Amino acid sequence: MTDDQIRSLRCACGWEASGRFEELVIAAQEHGRRIHNMTPTNEEVEAMLLPIGPAGTADHRAQLDDVDARPA
Amino acid sequence: MSRSPTGWDVTSPVQAEIFTIWRSGDHLELTGPCGAAPWIVELGATDHPVEVVDRIVRDVVGDPLLVHSTSWRRDRDAVILSFVVVIDSGLVGEMPSVPITRSELARSEATAAPSDIATSAVVEHGLRHMAWLAKDDPIVAETLDDPWKMLLAAYVPEPFRALG
Repeated sequence: MTDDQIRSLRCACGWEASGRFEELVIAAQEHGRRIHNMTPTNEEVEAMLLPIGPAGTADHRAQLDDVDARPA
Repeated sequence: MSRSPTGWDVTSPVQAEIFTIWRSGDHLELTGPCGAAPWIVELGATDHPVEVVDRIVRDVVGDPLLVHSTSWRRDRDAVILSFVVVIDSGLVGEMPSVPITRSELARSEATAAPSDIATSAVVEHGLRHMAWLAKDDPIVAETLDDPWKMLLAAYVPEPFRALG
């Protein structure tokens, strides 16, 4: 996985985030710890991701704004 | 009142399922960080279920009025402990919230669990359990205000039960 690749992540509870892998690991671990009493590993986060677009695009910037935007 | 079938999910062998309930005037509503969907929490091998639920509700929602485990069942390849958490209306804030409607219970066979248990049936049993506690448990009776107890009076009281 390249660092600038944009991915999305969705939790079964409805929480979603998009961004770079490192950002999503942080967001997913914060969401998991806070809401579900669990802390996913980097490997577990990677297994849940889907690629959605290249870095640096307008879509990318908008997606980054969404990282951990939802409280749940 | 369902979770997404796709996406990342809690997979531990023991899980807590939290139903965060509040009184909105003349009816009860279901809320929480996952909205009307069950709020699933991982329970580790050394975790005390009630302590984990109480802590996580305090951290995410605010101080609960009551935390009670109301049933258990086998589902999602795990043992699920269901909790009713009663909160004050002031804690709902921006969380999604939906009115709770009555539902048929999932009844067991004489020696076997029900084959399928809907979330609404778990909530129905949870409120019947709270109706029982409101009559049997002095702390619950003291904590719930009269409008709450009037609403619970419509539920047939039931103790803690294995749903599946």
